[in-house]
Amino acid sequence: MALILRRLLQLPLILAAVFTLTLALAWGAPGNPLERGDRRPPPEVEAAMRAQYRLDSFWSFYGSYLDSASGVRYVRESLDGTADADARRAAAEGLRPPARRVFDFGPSLQYRDQRVNDILADFLPVSITVGSAAILIALFLGVGAGVIGALRPGGVLDTLSLGLALAGISVPNFIVGTALLAIFSLWLGWFPVAEWGHARDVVLPALTLSLPFAAYIARLTRVGMLEALSADYIRTARAKGLPEWRVVTVHALKNALLPVVSYLGPAAAGAMTGSFVVEVVFNVPGLGQHFVNAVQNKDLFLLMGVVLVYATMLVVFNLAVDVMYRWIDPRIA
Amino acid sequence: MIAYAGRVKPLLAPIALLVLMTLLGVLSDRPEPRADFVFVNRAEISTLDPVQMSWLQDFRVAGLIFEGLTRYDTFSPGFNVVPGAAERWEVSSDGLTYTFHLRADAKWSNGEPVRPGDFVFAWRRVILPDGGGDYAKLFECIRGVREFRQWRSDKLRRFAADPSAGGSRDAAAALWQDTLDAFAREVGIQAPDERTLVVHLARPTPYFLDLTAFGALYPVHPPLLRAHESIDARTGLQRTNADWTKPDRLVVNGPFVLDRWRFKRDMHFARNPHYWDRASLNLDTIACLSIPDGNAQVLAFRTSAVDWTSDVMPSYRGEIFAAKQAFLSEHAPEVLRLESRGLDAVSIDRSLPADPRATVHAFPAFGTYFYNFNCRERLADGTPNPFADSRVRRAFTRTIDRAAICRNILRGGEKPAATFIPPGSIGGYRSPAGLLPDADTARAELVDAGFPNGRGFPEVQLLVNSEGDHSLIAQGVARDWERILGVRVRVVQKETRAFREDVKNGRFMVSRASWFGDYGDPTTFLDTNHTGDGNNDRGFSSREYDQLLDRAAAEPDAARRMETLARAEQLLVEEQAPFAPVYQYVQQYLFDPHRVSGITTHPRQSQDLARVDILGDGKGAETPAAMKR
Repeated sequence: MALILRRLLQLPLILAAVFTLTLALAWGAPGNPLERGDRRPPPEVEAAMRAQYRLDSFWSFYGSYLDSASGVRYVRESLDGTADADARRAAAEGLRPPARRVFDFGPSLQYRDQRVNDILADFLPVSITVGSAAILIALFLGVGAGVIGALRPGGVLDTLSLGLALAGISVPNFIVGTALLAIFSLWLGWFPVAEWGHARDVVLPALTLSLPFAAYIARLTRVGMLEALSADYIRTARAKGLPEWRVVTVHALKNALLPVVSYLGPAAAGAMTGSFVVEVVFNVPGLGQHFVNAVQNKDLFLLMGVVLVYATMLVVFNLAVDVMYRWIDPRIA
Repeated sequence: MIAYAGRVKPLLAPIALLVLMTLLGVLSDRPEPRADFVFVNRAEISTLDPVQMSWLQDFRVAGLIFEGLTRYDTFSPGFNVVPGAAERWEVSSDGLTYTFHLRADAKWSNGEPVRPGDFVFAWRRVILPDGGGDYAKLFECIRGVREFRQWRSDKLRRFAADPSAGGSRDAAAALWQDTLDAFAREVGIQAPDERTLVVHLARPTPYFLDLTAFGALYPVHPPLLRAHESIDARTGLQRTNADWTKPDRLVVNGPFVLDRWRFKRDMHFARNPHYWDRASLNLDTIACLSIPDGNAQVLAFRTSAVDWTSDVMPSYRGEIFAAKQAFLSEHAPEVLRLESRGLDAVSIDRSLPADPRATVHAFPAFGTYFYNFNCRERLADGTPNPFADSRVRRAFTRTIDRAAICRNILRGGEKPAATFIPPGSIGGYRSPAGLLPDADTARAELVDAGFPNGRGFPEVQLLVNSEGDHSLIAQGVARDWERILGVRVRVVQKETRAFREDVKNGRFMVSRASWFGDYGDPTTFLDTNHTGDGNNDRGFSSREYDQLLDRAAAEPDAARRMETLARAEQLLVEEQAPFAPVYQYVQQYLFDPHRVSGITTHPRQSQDLARVDILGDGKGAETPAAMKR
């Protein structure tokens, strides 16, 4: 409990550090955030927009972004009557008041009708769906291959699974994705192209995304299993006459999986925040594309939004892993 | 067995969680039924707010849901305007006063009438420097607009600088009231009654009715905007909460309403029950899908998920256009016969037997690809600039083998360009001939400029952004220049943002560029070469050219005005050559001509998507649209 509390208290500090570093880097990158495509607004308009978005100086932007993203502005505007005034004005026109957000990440500078909060709300669930499915597939493939390989080290199955793992890590996503698309969608016609919304649309993107993770998990499992199978308690288990499947799946695997569990934290955070390549190949509306596009467009609000979400997920998943660790292996506490 | 399950439980928990998250994600996100007409826009739209719109893809979608005073007849050779929200108009004999009469049945999608004040309100938003409109300059033909913008900008600057006023809510509100008063007093846009809009121009603008069909001049629903606007106490600026364009809030006056908008996924449109010209519509629902990848776009079209792909750009586009050419040459006699009867390209496809290869189309577009020469006396590093000499610029322009670039690199039906304005795109305008490739004249000009055989010429740096075919084209051009002129050329590739910074700040010798026109008048291209224009990246300045543009602006006679503008373009492309035209863009479409009707071949490239017809679905006109003759 103390661990969870301590980690959650650290979270704002970590986020503040990530925010400061990322913003400093993004601010220094070439490009004008108010340009869209090759169109730059007229000088007087640009001046007005710089004032509106507080782009006039680094610290002014830094302060105002922190103000609204941290929820301080929401509280202040609720207290000082600004929110009420807005609501009254809308009511006077017979309309619902403009939406307010507690943690307001601001507008997208490139897509002016979109709020960063809405983009996150629309795209993060898709990425989490594909990411969860990918980690699931990776676990089954990886643990399966790792265990099979460790049972007869150096055997045909071991060599095969090691080779596949190597391929899984080294073949880039866009080749795997395009190949899967060509085989299963175009040739066999099992899956539609460039569609999103059915359960079947998750399969190919998740499979593509899972392979590097599966490969890594397979290698971790294999090493862990080899170590566990040569341990004294396994000899004891075998000596007392337990069937081999029980020795492997219960006694050895449980300890062999510890490194896999600790890898799951960053892996899940990585998989669930989307992959640009997988999203482009399969036309999946996930968050990964916004990482890349926000940097290219110098869309500061969006960039900071996705970076903060990623950092939060990384911290939370790592915390979850630590909690699990203690559950599985009481010695760590 | 129970004990066994208990020990493995910790490991099952995350797996159960993952399964749950996957299932939840899948179940919460169901697909929509297919719309009558599904298209892929050339890129994601950046906004639905007419103030902020800047791109073809924005205007394309906006044209479905908004309607200006006039609209384009996309199937007339002159791209004429026809009545939109205004049923008729009068123009005073001096060409300075336009009186628009709004139709009685022009309605917003909530049933309220479209009033002239809605246009005043909408145009004021674009004119104000607050909102960040790219197209405020278009309004400068209206009396008082330039002065009003200047006045407002000065006031805002002083407000922000004044410590006693800045931050005060009352002072900001007072400034806003002053602004509204000044606008009503100074700017020549008035609504004398509930049906009439009067516009007083600062100078005759023969293309003003073309402008009123353009997206930046669409009306907006004032109550909706007022609920989303506020005055910022710190800066005095008027700010708009972008939520107003969300489907559950948006009120529009066009043929369709926005039903659903999932950013970067899809937009769904349904008929606007209050639209006045419902009889002209042939569809009930329209969907616009976001598919950024070129290959995925083609696959979506081939699997019939999409009816119209508005920009075909996979790496193998050369092959698909070659297939279309092969199809046309198989039917060459028939094609020639139909062409001689004056049929447009789609009507010809429609008269031939159905064939999958006939779904590929390349129509001329309203844009030109060219190379900027830096025309300033000195380069950014302070060294003398050889391209400040127009003889050098002409020599380099004459040496580009444009036809080879179109034939070998682009392979998508593009045409070599010798002019800035795509020929035939503007009714009543006769394009000059331009400079044709001519190696001997080019070498002679370089000798005159003091660089025989390129001797003494500094290394030419050709700046391109590292996207698409730009670098391939640049290498072809560099080889032409090295071979014919004897100069050394280095192609410099930069990431797009860094490239733009360099070009906008004049840090280049020669750079890649392109320009697309906005409205049907030569000035939409020519203005970008006026001294000091915001888009004059070349730093080009010619008093004679500026005077020609000014003379055209003051010319009351439309035909003489066009002649003056043609002379100005001739000065650009034949004498001064501040840039070297390379090719004229094409619109590369995929659609089945036997199924889809209403996509025009006109080079102005705006499409009236609201009036597209799916042939054979039993809805609408069911007769294929063709270019009028």
